[in-house]
Amino acid sequence: MKNKKTIIFLSASLLLFVIVFFLALMVGRYSISIGNFFKALFTNDPHFQTDRSVIITLRIPRTIVAGLTGIALSLSGLLYQETFQNKLTSPDLLGVSNGAGVGAALAIVIGLSSAFISVLAFAVGILTVMTTVLIAKFFRNGSSTILLLSGIIVGGLMSSLLSLIKYFAGNEVKLASITYWLMGSFANAKMETVYILLPIVAVSTIFLLSISWRINIVALGREEAQTKGINYTLYRYLIIGIATLLTASTVAFSGTISWIGLVIPHIVRLIAGRNTRKTIPLCITFGGIFMIVVDILSRTFTSEEIPLSAVTGLFGTIIFVIILFLKRRDYHEH
Amino acid sequence: MSINIKNLCFSYGRKFDPVLKNVNFSISDNTITVLLGLNGCGKTTLIKAIAGLFNNITGEISYNDTLLSSLSIRERSKLVAYVPQKISGIDDVKVEDYLTYGMVNSLKFYQTPSQSEKQKTIDMANKFHIEHLIHKNMSELSGGERQIVSLVSSLLQNTKIILLDEPTSALDLKNQSLVLSILKEISKRENKTIILSSHNPNHALFLECNVALMNEGKILKFGPANKIINVEDLRCIYGDNVCLSKDLPYTEISFV
Repeated sequence: MKNKKTIIFLSASLLLFVIVFFLALMVGRYSISIGNFFKALFTNDPHFQTDRSVIITLRIPRTIVAGLTGIALSLSGLLYQETFQNKLTSPDLLGVSNGAGVGAALAIVIGLSSAFISVLAFAVGILTVMTTVLIAKFFRNGSSTILLLSGIIVGGLMSSLLSLIKYFAGNEVKLASITYWLMGSFANAKMETVYILLPIVAVSTIFLLSISWRINIVALGREEAQTKGINYTLYRYLIIGIATLLTASTVAFSGTISWIGLVIPHIVRLIAGRNTRKTIPLCITFGGIFMIVVDILSRTFTSEEIPLSAVTGLFGTIIFVIILFLKRRDYHEH
Repeated sequence: MSINIKNLCFSYGRKFDPVLKNVNFSISDNTITVLLGLNGCGKTTLIKAIAGLFNNITGEISYNDTLLSSLSIRERSKLVAYVPQKISGIDDVKVEDYLTYGMVNSLKFYQTPSQSEKQKTIDMANKFHIEHLIHKNMSELSGGERQIVSLVSSLLQNTKIILLDEPTSALDLKNQSLVLSILKEISKRENKTIILSSHNPNHALFLECNVALMNEGKILKFGPANKIINVEDLRCIYGDNVCLSKDLPYTEISFV
């Protein structure tokens, strides 16, 4: 029965993804009607030059980046939650977001261009996760708990470093830029961003889909997975590596975006149960839709753009309360 | 054809006392062996060591002259299946999905169970009368049902050796009898070598099998249950309160 339910939800969400994607190209502070949208895209009429320019140079890259970011963060959240057997973990668990924040803040303070902000954010994000893994290795204890604690330690350190950088930023414009970056935005999305992000998200997603059944067995924990014939350590690091790559690459371009990596996996599990063969495809469509809708809202209702994390936080908490209400029987005291 | 364990030692860390101290014994094919002993005597650790869950053991565990440590994780999983005392990470996992996980060692990394393999799962569920459970979530099952599902999943792994860590620990009398009867049947009909740990010497007598009496990380005695299980030896381990049921001031209830 759940198979049918998954197929229905997947088909419906795929259709909705397409609708929301095209809606995002038309809606905004500069609104474009459906008629003008098609004329702008499929004719050379010079009257629609502005519409064409808004759609092609601004909205298409921005919406693709929003969709890819939604997919990447939802998948990372799901992967972390399954691998660590903890439904409350999110993609920044091992310190990737805090690390990327430090990298970006450093680049802003130095006065680097937006491309270098992304490069530094990505590099420091990845380095932070590597430090987390190295510290866990230092304890010679392969348990997930040590890795989680190590993530909290390194994440905490990065958050202190970020405070120091903000304190010494000296210049109010730079301080505002750091704060704005940390709240997430797709305002700087360009086609170049798509060219970098698309292959990373596409290859990671295809690989994850190919091992999706095995991720279920990894999620049973070391003892069960290993005695059933899965190289648990290899798979765990592979999954952490992909989740980190997905998070770091999106955070580098769009800043930190909270809640989505926590909320979307919960919604899809509510529909499909705990089977990554079903939840990974659903995370792709639901994550993409959620992020595109959040982006539309963030850039439509006020004259200034509302930071993404403010919108995701608002929606995330409401959705999470609904999920908790629906699943309240599963969270009883033992 | 047997499992041979020679000079097996293990500790959970350099600063910890050894849990297994020079364990030596052999287990013949198609037999059941029950590990008996106090809490902390090393039963679970011995089972996990045979399952290959520790990297830092000293000594040898071999099957027909093949060292288990020389096998890859995948090769080892084709020889030895392990049923833990408590399965973790299974809430919201469907029974039919969980059962198929036992087949992962025969599939390539990108493959999923085929229709015929799924049919094999259903056939096995029918054989052990759990067909009514396959569409349920694992979290909906009782302790006994969960143990049987876990056992069936290990059978789908199609290994010669099955290790079970206290398979009856959370079960009522009816389910204890059911699980032990299934083990007895599997060993005879499917020619499996089964090693399980238990806190109840009656289980070994019920299974008419071999017993390894463990104390402080060592095998104190090994042999057929009807010879090993006697009041004197059990008192050495469990204390002076151990007595035969005929000497009890009340009638003991057990299962047949």
